[in-house]
Amino acid sequence: MADNKPIPIKLLIIDDDEHLSESLAEVLELDGFECFEAATAKDGIESAIKNNPKVVIMDIQLPDSSGFQICQELRRRFRDAILIMMTGRFLSAEEKTQGFELGADEYLIKPFDLQELSVRIRQLLSRSHR
Amino acid sequence: MSYNAPRRGKLAYKFLFWFLLISLAPMGVVGWHLVNISQNVLKEESLRNEESLAIGFAETVFNYVNTFKNVLAVASRLEGFATMDSLRQERHLSRVMQQHPAFLELSVFDITGKETVRMGPFLGPSPPLRNFFDQIPFTVSLQKGEYVGGLHRFQALYPTLTIAVPIVETTATQANLRRGVLLGKLSLNGLSQMLHQEFPEKGRNQASVVAGDVKDSFLVAHSDPNEVFRREASIPEEILRVIMTQSAKKGGGKIELKDGSSVLGAYAEVKDLGWIVYVQQPIETAYLAATQMRKQIAKVFLWVVLITLLLSLAVAGHITQPIRALRMAADRLKAGQFEDLPEMSMTNDEIGDLAQSFLQMSESLKEKTGELVRAKDELESFTKLLEKRVEVRTRELKAAQDELIKKERLAAIGQMASVVGHEIRNPLAVINNSSFYSKTKMTKDGLMDAKIDRHISIIQSEVKQANSIIDEILTYSRARELKPEVQLLNHFLEELLSVYPFPSHIQVVKDFDSRDPVVHIDADELRQGVRNLIGNGIEVMPKGGIVRVATEIVEQNWVRIDIADSGPGIPQDVLDKIFTPFYTTKARGTGLGLAVVRKVMDRHNGKVDVETVIGKGTIFKLYLPLANKSSQTAPSAGHQAAPAPAPYAPQVPQLSPPPAPPAGARGTVPPQTFIRPVLPAHPPTAPGGRPPTI
Repeated sequence: MADNKPIPIKLLIIDDDEHLSESLAEVLELDGFECFEAATAKDGIESAIKNNPKVVIMDIQLPDSSGFQICQELRRRFRDAILIMMTGRFLSAEEKTQGFELGADEYLIKPFDLQELSVRIRQLLSRSHR
Repeated sequence: MSYNAPRRGKLAYKFLFWFLLISLAPMGVVGWHLVNISQNVLKEESLRNEESLAIGFAETVFNYVNTFKNVLAVASRLEGFATMDSLRQERHLSRVMQQHPAFLELSVFDITGKETVRMGPFLGPSPPLRNFFDQIPFTVSLQKGEYVGGLHRFQALYPTLTIAVPIVETTATQANLRRGVLLGKLSLNGLSQMLHQEFPEKGRNQASVVAGDVKDSFLVAHSDPNEVFRREASIPEEILRVIMTQSAKKGGGKIELKDGSSVLGAYAEVKDLGWIVYVQQPIETAYLAATQMRKQIAKVFLWVVLITLLLSLAVAGHITQPIRALRMAADRLKAGQFEDLPEMSMTNDEIGDLAQSFLQMSESLKEKTGELVRAKDELESFTKLLEKRVEVRTRELKAAQDELIKKERLAAIGQMASVVGHEIRNPLAVINNSSFYSKTKMTKDGLMDAKIDRHISIIQSEVKQANSIIDEILTYSRARELKPEVQLLNHFLEELLSVYPFPSHIQVVKDFDSRDPVVHIDADELRQGVRNLIGNGIEVMPKGGIVRVATEIVEQNWVRIDIADSGPGIPQDVLDKIFTPFYTTKARGTGLGLAVVRKVMDRHNGKVDVETVIGKGTIFKLYLPLANKSSQTAPSAGHQAAPAPAPYAPQVPQLSPPPAPPAGARGTVPPQTFIRPVLPAHPPTAPGGRPPTI
């Protein structure tokens, strides 16, 4: 896919489900992303500060915090990052609105089509780079 | 009696009894008194007759004796008789004797008591002369001027009386000088003859003359002459005892004889002589008149009783007739028959008034009974109405309760589904990711083999399947807020159908109402419902068929959406459960498709109904309330979209009967199994009756 791209795009996955993080990371790495994983909000923010990812995919529910709070925190710190919220349940319109207002760029309902996800991330990236 | 009563009441007899008592008793008493009085009078009269008879006889007897006494007195005072010699005296006396044969013996005594002349038919030519100087007849006649007495039986046969009178010399110088006594024995047979003439018959009708006393009586005369000649001739002692002991000169009465019979006897004393004349007749004869009178009166009385009886019967019957009629009428009333009351003659009296009152009473009773019956009917119908209301209310409560239970269950399911969904989606996502990674990696490394590729695809497909199930469950159970908006229904459906991925073996038929119904709907939800129905239709026709989508305005405020297939139809046992959540006949299915449809219709105040014919197809009918056209722009549009609307529209009359199954409904499914909308009350028959287009 992106063999000719020397600098991989940094992507942070925050989810307390390690399998999910791992599998998602592996898939996205195949697609040329450099993935970091974190299981808690605290680790996630630390990792983000440390690695400065272009894309963050985070679960809405984390053991130590709600996804919305991380979203807000990350948006505050990384104005240009692509923030994608991930959830296993339906979100009400209010929740979605809230998420977008707090800086989320996209929502994912688990399980998701990985090819679609890849395409969507690149879309968002190209948009933000414009 | 002319009335035809089945049985005569006791009242008539009571009347009869009292009538008889009242009318006959006084008459009887008076009659009895009258009869008694009359009888007594008659008896008195008979007695008087007897008495006068006795008195008459007594006089006759007296005259008889007196006559002969005078004969002797005249003879003794004959001029010169005192001074005549015996021979001349004898001649003279024999003339007297010839004239009066009753004299049995005539004697002349001189003043010294020596008998100078003695003559009589039974004495012979020269009878012995006697001296009567100290004899009573001689002395008494000289002292008192006459002697009557010395009753005895001449020759022991004839009752004989001795009469003596002094022989007085009447000269110019010596006035009333007594020279001797003229004595005669007088036969009293003449008296018996006389009595016999008056009482010719023998037996107890008789008369007699007795002298002496009870102990020593002398029968002077008797109406039966033979009686006199009997030895110890007398009359019965019981009679003697009555007549001899009386102090009165006359009298009489009923006398009981020894042989048990009674006679009416009367007696009278003969003047101077002291004899008793006694007459008697049998009591029967004496009282004949009284008896006959009594018999006559008794006969009359019987007739009167008979006539009174008949009259009373008639009168009593007449009087009691209306009463009996009343009673019959009352009996009919008692049996509850108010019609055909027996005719009651309205007499102008208290009974008439009673009948009048009775008729009025029966009228009012009839009225009251009618009112009662009406009231009862009303009460019954009211009770029925109440029961119906209670039933309806119970049904409503039950429905509300069911609804509540359903809601609670759905809420619980929603909650659970939300949790489970989340928890399952994570592993699904992991599987999805891992399989994707494996497939991509192996393809990239050239390790992919066709079989592995196929299996990874299966895994991915199954993940999708599982995910869609979770989606469905979450969609059904989530408490999403309704977002209704005004829509042109035909346009909405047209759009839906245009994007629906119909397979090629399915023919789509559209049949929309040209009136362009406007509805107020949550497009997402209704779309989901219609899609579910279309999807079902397609699924039951794997070998091809027709899906018909139609709209039609029914009644004034409702529109119906038909989604029909030409599939195999739904069997009865399945039909009852198709709207139940999680009920499914498919190998893979959540059983929520139709449940969602129903939920959607409920949330839109609508209703879903189903008609199916085995082998022909199924029609799902969605009833939606029409939106007020003005509400397209009116702000009230949002109002209609109030959250959690009641399952039924408030304007829906709850008591209206469920619509009859459309005329076209086929008999394979009993009408009651249809899940009917509450409205319209009369579903249109034309499109509803149309069989699914094939």
